[in-house]
Amino acid sequence: MSEFFLELFSEEIPANLQKNARKNLLQNFKDFFRKKDISFNKEISFSTPNRLLILFDSIKPEISQKEEEIRGPKIDAPEKALNGFLRSNNLENKDLYKKENEKGVFYFAKKPAKTIKVFDLLNENIPLILDKILWKKSMKWGDFELYWARPLKSILAIFNNKNLIFKYYHLQSSNFTIIDKDFEDRTKTFKNFKLYIDYFKKSKIIIDQNQRKKFIETKLLKISNKKNLLIEINEKLLDEVTNLVNKPNIILCKFDEKFLKIPKEVLITTMQFHQKYFHTFDKKRNITNNFLVVANNKDNKGFIKIGNERVVNARLSDAQFFWEKDKSNNLVKQVSKLKSMNYFKGLGTYFDKVQRMRRLGGMISDELLISKDKVEISNTICKVDLLSDIVGEFPELQGIMGGYFAEFQGFDKDISLAVREHYLPIGTDSKTPKKPFSIALALTDKIDTLVGFFGINQKPTSSKDPFALRRSALGVTRLLLENNKEFKLKDLINYSYNLYLEQGFELSNKAIYKDLNNFFVERLKNYMKEKDIRLDIIEAAISSYGIDNMIKVYKKALTLNKLINKDIGLAVISCYKRTSNILDQELKNPEFELSNSTDPGLFKNDFEKNLYKKIHDLRKYFTSISKDENYELSLKNLAESKNTVFDFFDNVMVNDEDKAIKENRLKLLQMLRKTYENYLNFSSIESL
Amino acid sequence: MVSKKKKIKKTKKKKIVKPKFQSFQDTILNLQKYWSKQGCVILQPYDIEVGAGTFHPATTLRSLGPNSWKTAYVQPSRRPTDGRYGKNPNRLQHHYQFQVLIKPSPKNIKKLYLNSLRSIGINHLDHDIRFVEDDWESPTLGAVGLGWEVWCDGMEITQFTYFQQMAGIECKPVSVELTYGLERICMFTQGKKNVFDLDWNNEGIKYREVFHQAEKEFSAYNFEHANTDNLFKIFGMLENETKSLLDKKLSLPAYDQCLKASHVFNILDARGVISVAQRSEYISKIRELTKSVGSVWLNSQS
Repeated sequence: MSEFFLELFSEEIPANLQKNARKNLLQNFKDFFRKKDISFNKEISFSTPNRLLILFDSIKPEISQKEEEIRGPKIDAPEKALNGFLRSNNLENKDLYKKENEKGVFYFAKKPAKTIKVFDLLNENIPLILDKILWKKSMKWGDFELYWARPLKSILAIFNNKNLIFKYYHLQSSNFTIIDKDFEDRTKTFKNFKLYIDYFKKSKIIIDQNQRKKFIETKLLKISNKKNLLIEINEKLLDEVTNLVNKPNIILCKFDEKFLKIPKEVLITTMQFHQKYFHTFDKKRNITNNFLVVANNKDNKGFIKIGNERVVNARLSDAQFFWEKDKSNNLVKQVSKLKSMNYFKGLGTYFDKVQRMRRLGGMISDELLISKDKVEISNTICKVDLLSDIVGEFPELQGIMGGYFAEFQGFDKDISLAVREHYLPIGTDSKTPKKPFSIALALTDKIDTLVGFFGINQKPTSSKDPFALRRSALGVTRLLLENNKEFKLKDLINYSYNLYLEQGFELSNKAIYKDLNNFFVERLKNYMKEKDIRLDIIEAAISSYGIDNMIKVYKKALTLNKLINKDIGLAVISCYKRTSNILDQELKNPEFELSNSTDPGLFKNDFEKNLYKKIHDLRKYFTSISKDENYELSLKNLAESKNTVFDFFDNVMVNDEDKAIKENRLKLLQMLRKTYENYLNFSSIESL
Repeated sequence: MVSKKKKIKKTKKKKIVKPKFQSFQDTILNLQKYWSKQGCVILQPYDIEVGAGTFHPATTLRSLGPNSWKTAYVQPSRRPTDGRYGKNPNRLQHHYQFQVLIKPSPKNIKKLYLNSLRSIGINHLDHDIRFVEDDWESPTLGAVGLGWEVWCDGMEITQFTYFQQMAGIECKPVSVELTYGLERICMFTQGKKNVFDLDWNNEGIKYREVFHQAEKEFSAYNFEHANTDNLFKIFGMLENETKSLLDKKLSLPAYDQCLKASHVFNILDARGVISVAQRSEYISKIRELTKSVGSVWLNSQS
């Protein structure tokens, strides 16, 4: 049994690309071994910034191929074809025999059973397998033709203690790798994986990323524990630093205490996002000036600690300078400065935008029954932080800084929180504002943006959405759904549109309502898909109610989705379908005008009467509910009519010879269907 | 191999030493000397305001086409929006970049680079040198490159980029570009917290004496006094000039006009009179011009 081991040495491959490459490469090799019927025992892939490794264990060194019959060209094919066939299969004329099949008479030959060396197969196939690797981003270098994530420098390939021999573009496989201690110009030969891994262990290089991650995590916790510090390990950051180093060395550093006065988001952004450090908290969960650096080298001379501290101090002293300067800059007085800050060509300045937002916000405040004054103030000041240096420096903190300024300048808590949160929700895992003033401001901003950009035809395309309009529309959707606030979106859009016109902006898109409606429908659909609601249910709910009733659409779909395969759901759908089938049959060739009422005087039996009564009860139920519909109860009530409905169908012939009776029965069914549709139009729901 | 190990041990025993102090001008001279030894053509700065060394035609245009090319030069980089009136210890509207461009990118470029750090007082074995992904794009140049920011003990000291595309044209062969941030590197090697305290020449002249007044005055110009109406007009004039020169197939003069337009745009941006949307419009105007310049230049080469 043999070991196959491949190491690709390159210049530093970005963290996220390593992850994909490990999986992808391993999978491609697995697929290859399976296809060739080569069994193996253990498969592993590792990576460091410079090394990508694949290891398969317990591979049979040989595989046997059974005898097989292969078909050649037709007997009347030109000689060239036959010669080609012989050559490519290593056959001679005497090996051939003729045989007829449904397509004609062909030459055939038997390929004898043989054993193939996996060593040879690998030599032949590795270049092809390597070529299949899918990089999210790849590049060329020098004057070579190969695309790789970063320049590939050597290929170490060993099978059964021998080095494989193949060419891959300009590179030749070998039994050595580059040792990058100094300048990437020393090499070392290896016979197997054990010798390889032992060698690196000795130089404190951890090849296995899982082990490396564990090592870093343990060290981070150990050091922070020892110093009585709390550390929240951000998984994404941990993954990233794991893939940025191969010889991790965790160093505890400090920045100057005086910077703790800066808002903590600024500190965290600087440390976590800009510098890839781990920040710490004290036992009271206040941020501290201790932070942890994952370096890739021993700090023998103390340079690394001092250097990192100096970098973060420099960055924070910038931030502090801006914070001190910006925080007392009166927000209200600065509003007029927004006049010199263009929002978008054709949509005016940021000043124009907040003027519109003030009015739109007023309308929203009426709906939410909250103080109009406070909503107007929050709208007026919410964009002022864009003028500040600190947001210039930390654009990702827009809104958050505005919130701090408002708080510092003594604005009402509702207002400062609304300003702070008004860009939210941003990503799928971002939180959605919950406080009424925050909801109002977040909604206002997004609607104004969407109407403006759609109005001037700056709609996103399938691949490009430079103004993040999808995010805005999804934000609106989430704000409504996750706060259980039903808004007539179309009214808001309409009002916002008119505000643009009042300001004299020409919104040239005549199809804006249709476009925005479709856009919101798409977002709502996606949102519901994420909640694992069946597609047909989503479609049915949206087509029944539209975007003016998002909550209803969502909740009805969610409830139906939950119950669709339970007794209740099955009952509802089967009743509806039986009714619909008959009605649709009739409507193909309509004999009667089917009104939504029936004449009880024409009933011939109890089944009809019972159904009529049931419909009456259900209608009563549906008219009695107002805003607080219990959707589960509604479905349950519909489901409870199943026996009555089925009794009717099992015992009553709708297609009566007497036209009047037939018409009356069809009308009864029409009533039944309409009653069911109080919930939603079930016609597009796929039955089981 | 054994002897090498011993050497490493020896250096470990040495006392703690600071990175080797070098004056600002020595750093420049040493980089020039080093890259000159590697066969680079040592050029002087381009005499038009640009935002980065990449805009120098010795990089932008020479990275196009099949001919080999090696160059190194200092380029003053003007970034009007980065001005802080000389009050910020790390921010300047005018700073120096040291730029290296080699086509095709040599196999041992990492070694060449790490060795160059030695020439300016940074022994990479004593530091945490990291190659952090930085896919570079210059929308105005229609350029795309893949590479890294090189971090030294947490500080970005160099941009290391393999050009994939320039002026909208695929680079074949691929050039490698190294851009050293000279002020940052010197602050690091001189252990200074404020850029204006940098020792310029070992004779007592500080960075402050050379550039502080300029930072103050240009910040005032860029942020407050630049006449935006005129600049908008000038932009239009430069744009037209570029186009008419392109019609006459004069790629180099056309490129100069294009660079000037780009700088005018940067000042307008600093004055805050360009909105997000206008930005992309202006950027795409400049990009279109650069693209045309690139193809006219490339045609002139064959």
